[in-house]
Amino acid sequence: MTVKATREGRPAPMSTDAAAPTLWPLLALRLRRDRVQVPAWLLSLGAITLLAGLAVPASFGTLAERESLVQIAVGTPAILMLRGEPRGPAADALLFFSLFANLAAAVAFMSTFLAVRHSRAEEEAGRSELIGATVASRVVPLLATVLFGAVASLAAGAAVAVALIAAGLDTTGALVTGAALAGTGVAFLGVGVLTAQLMRTSRGANGLAAAVVGVAYVLRATGDAGGTPAADGLSLTSAWPSWLSPIGWGQHTRAFTENNLAPLLLQVAFAGLLVTVAVLLQSRRDTGSSVFAERSGRPAAGWLLRGSLGLAWRLQRAAILGWAVTGLLFGLLAGSLGETVADLMEGNPVFKNLLVGLAGGRGAVIDLYTATLFSLVGVIAAAAAIQSMLRARQEEAAGVAEAMLSTSLGRIRWLFDYLFVGVAGIVLVVAAAVLGAAAGLISSDAAADRIGSVLKAGAAQLPAAVLLLAVAAVLVALLPRLSIGLSWGLLLASVVVGQFGDLLDLPQWLRDLSPFSHTPAVAAAEVDWSGAWWMPVLAVLLAAGAAVGIRHRDLAP
Amino acid sequence: MYPVVQTRDLSKRFGRVQALAGLDLTVAEGEVHGFVGPNGAGKSTTIRILLGLMRAGGGSARVLGGDPWADASALHRRIAYVPGDVSLWPNLSGGEAIDLLARLRGARTADPGYQDRRRHLLERFQLDPTRKGRTYSTGNRQKVALVAALAVPADLLILDEPTSGLDPLMDAVFRAEIVRAAADGATVLLSSHILSEVERLCDRVSIIRSGRIIETGTLAELRHLTRTEVSFAGTGLAEAELAGLAARLSGVRDLTIGDDRVSFSVDAAALPDVLPVLAELRVQALTVAPPTLESLFLRHYGDPTHAPNVPTEAGDDPAGGHSPHHRHRR
Repeated sequence: MTVKATREGRPAPMSTDAAAPTLWPLLALRLRRDRVQVPAWLLSLGAITLLAGLAVPASFGTLAERESLVQIAVGTPAILMLRGEPRGPAADALLFFSLFANLAAAVAFMSTFLAVRHSRAEEEAGRSELIGATVASRVVPLLATVLFGAVASLAAGAAVAVALIAAGLDTTGALVTGAALAGTGVAFLGVGVLTAQLMRTSRGANGLAAAVVGVAYVLRATGDAGGTPAADGLSLTSAWPSWLSPIGWGQHTRAFTENNLAPLLLQVAFAGLLVTVAVLLQSRRDTGSSVFAERSGRPAAGWLLRGSLGLAWRLQRAAILGWAVTGLLFGLLAGSLGETVADLMEGNPVFKNLLVGLAGGRGAVIDLYTATLFSLVGVIAAAAAIQSMLRARQEEAAGVAEAMLSTSLGRIRWLFDYLFVGVAGIVLVVAAAVLGAAAGLISSDAAADRIGSVLKAGAAQLPAAVLLLAVAAVLVALLPRLSIGLSWGLLLASVVVGQFGDLLDLPQWLRDLSPFSHTPAVAAAEVDWSGAWWMPVLAVLLAAGAAVGIRHRDLAP
Repeated sequence: MYPVVQTRDLSKRFGRVQALAGLDLTVAEGEVHGFVGPNGAGKSTTIRILLGLMRAGGGSARVLGGDPWADASALHRRIAYVPGDVSLWPNLSGGEAIDLLARLRGARTADPGYQDRRRHLLERFQLDPTRKGRTYSTGNRQKVALVAALAVPADLLILDEPTSGLDPLMDAVFRAEIVRAAADGATVLLSSHILSEVERLCDRVSIIRSGRIIETGTLAELRHLTRTEVSFAGTGLAEAELAGLAARLSGVRDLTIGDDRVSFSVDAAALPDVLPVLAELRVQALTVAPPTLESLFLRHYGDPTHAPNVPTEAGDDPAGGHSPHHRHRR
C-alpha cells in the first residue's frame, strides 16, 4: 500500500511544501507571545541611545573638550574596557565609542533569551510536543524562531538608528550602527539556538549563552584595553582579541568614521554556521533530548536535602555553579590579561611615559584593570543572587511551594532559605573570581600586592549585590506576580545608571540610587568604604520587611 | 482493511533503560484500538515514535503507509494527537491555542465547517475559550487539546491517556465524541490505563508490558484468555472441608484460603462443574465475577517480580523519575 491510499474525500497527503503554511502561524505565535517583551527591549534600547545622543553633544560641546576627553580615555584601560575603541574627537564618533559595545551586549542578551524562550523552554514545558505532532513537525518551529529572532535583531538595529538620527547625528553612521547591532543580534541568535540544542533545560541553555556573551564582551574589552593609540592620542586601534568577538566585529564597523560594513559578514557567517549546526541537531534528535543529557537521579534523598534550605540549594546549585564558573573565568581573564595589557602598554611609546609617571607604575595598571573587571563580577554576583531569590517565586507559581508550606515549614523560614542561598551565591561567585584572578597573577612581580588588591576588589563587590538581593526578597514578599520582571529590571537599571550615568548625563541623585554607585572604588587613591557598611545594614532592614510582608499575604500561584 | 499503524520489532533504549524491546503493534483501518499497560510500560514512547517525535532505535514503524520519522510533516496533516500531560502557552487563550493548532494541521480556521465543529465541541465540553492558558485546570487544558484534535477531521487520532483529568460527565462526552469521530471514518489509537474506558470504547486491545505487546485481540478474544473469579466466605467451613477443596475442584487455579475468604479462578468452560461443589458446601456470600479487562490486566501484572517500582522495569521513563517529557510547569 502507498501513502496515497487514502479514503476518498480526504485531502491528498504527502504534499512536499508542508513547511510554508506552518511557518507563518508559528511566526505569528512568537510575535503574539512576545508582543510586550520585545517592544520593551526595543524601546529601552532606543531611549538609552536617544538620551546619550542628546547628552554627549550637550556636555562636550567644544572640540577642545572632546579632545581632552578622548585623550584621557585612550590613556585609561578601565575606560576603554567598559566603553570601546575611540576613533577621534568628533561628537558622533565619541558616542559610538561610548555606547556601542554595551548596546551590543544588551542586544546579544535579547537575542539569546529570545532563542531559548522559543526553543528549549517550549520543549521543556511540553508544548513543542503539541506542535511537533502537527504538520510543522521538527524543524519548522526552529526556523520560525530564527526568523523571529532575525526580525527582532533588525528591529533593535532600526530602533537605535532612528534614535541616533532623531538626536541629530549623521544618517549614514546611524544606519551603520544599526546594522552592526542587528548583525550582533543575529550572531548571538545563533549562539542561543545552539545552546538550546546542547542543554536539557532552558536555565542551562540561558546560562551557557550568557557565558558566551560575557566571554565575547571580555575579549572585546581586552582588545580595546591593549589597543595601539595613534600618535596624536585621539584614536586607538584595538588589539587582536577584539577580532575573536562578535561584539568586536560589530565595533570594527567604526560607524561615523569609516562606516565599514565588511565585518558584518563575519557576524552573518558566524550565525549561519551556528544555525546550521542547530538545524542539523534538531532534525536528528528526539524531542526532549539534548546533546548534554540529563543523568538519572539518586534513588533516595541525600543528607543535604533535609528541609527547605537544602531544597533551595539543590534547586539553585547548578545555576550558582554556572555563575561561579563565569566568575572564575572573569577572574582568570582579569588576572592573566592584566599582564598582557601592561605589556601592550609598555610596548608603545605614548603609554610608556604615562606608566612611568603613574604612582605604582606597572602594578597600578594591573590593579586598575582587575578592579574594573571586578565591577562586572559584582553584577554577575547580583544576578546569581536575584535568580536564587526569584526561585522562591517560581516555586510558588508552579504550585510546588504549596506542598512545602502545607508541612510544618513556616513562611518566613521558607522565604529566607532562598535568601540565604542567594547570599551563598554572591560569596561563591566573588570567591571564584578572586581565586581565578589570583591564579592568573601568581607569576606577576609583587604577586602578594596584586592578590591583596584583588581580594579588596572582590570584597568591595559584596555590599551592592547583597542589597539588590534584599530588594528582590521584598518584591517577592510584597508584589509576587511582578517580582520577576521588576527584580531583573532593577538590576538592569542599576547597571545602566551606575555604569553609564555620566555618559547619559543623568542627575547625581538618580545615579546615587544605583547600589553599584556606592561600591567602594578600590583602585582609587582614597578608598571610600562607607557603602560597605550602610548597604548591608539597609539589606538587613529590607529582609525584615520581607519577613513581615510574606506573613501577611496569600499564596499567589 | 489495511493497517494504519504497524510496527515490527520496534525497540528504543534510553541509556541503560530498554523502553521498547521488540514491539509489534498493528492497528487496522477504522478501528478504535485500546493500548493498555501500566505506567512505564512503553506506551508514550511508542506513541512518540509513531508521531516522529522520537526516532525508532531498531525495527520498523509505518503509520498511514509512511515512515513516521522521515514523512512526519506530511503524515501529521492526517493525524490528530492529544498528549497525556497538556501544557498550554500561559498568555494565549484556549480559543487561540485551538485555532493555532488547527492552522498548523493545515485547516482554514475561517472555514464554516471548522467553525461549526469548533462551536459544537466547545459546547459539548463546556469549555470557555476566552480564558488564558495559565488559568486552566488540568482537566480544562486537556479539553483544549481534545477540542483542537477533534475540530479538524483526521484519519488517525492518537490519544495518550486523554481523560486522566476529566470528571465523569466529561468522560461520557469524550466517549461520545470518539464514537462520532470513528463513525466519520477515523482510526483511533487510545492509550489508557482506565480499563473501563477501554472496554466501553475499543474494538480491539493491545496489552503492553516491559516494552512488548503481550496480548492483542478483540475484547471477546481476550476474555477467553481470562477466567471467572469466584470467592466465598470460608468462616462456616471445617478445616477438613477446606483442605479437601483443592482435590475436588479440578480446573481451578490460584486457590487461596484466607482467614475469612476462599477465592479461586476458573475457566469459563469449567465453571458449570464447579458450581455443584460450592452448592454442596452451602457456601455463604458467594461472588462470581465475570472476566474483565482488569482481571486480565492484573493476571499479567500481578506477578510480583514485575512490581511497578522496580527500577529495571522498562518504560517510557528513561530517567527513573519520569519520561523526558514529564516536567514541572513554570
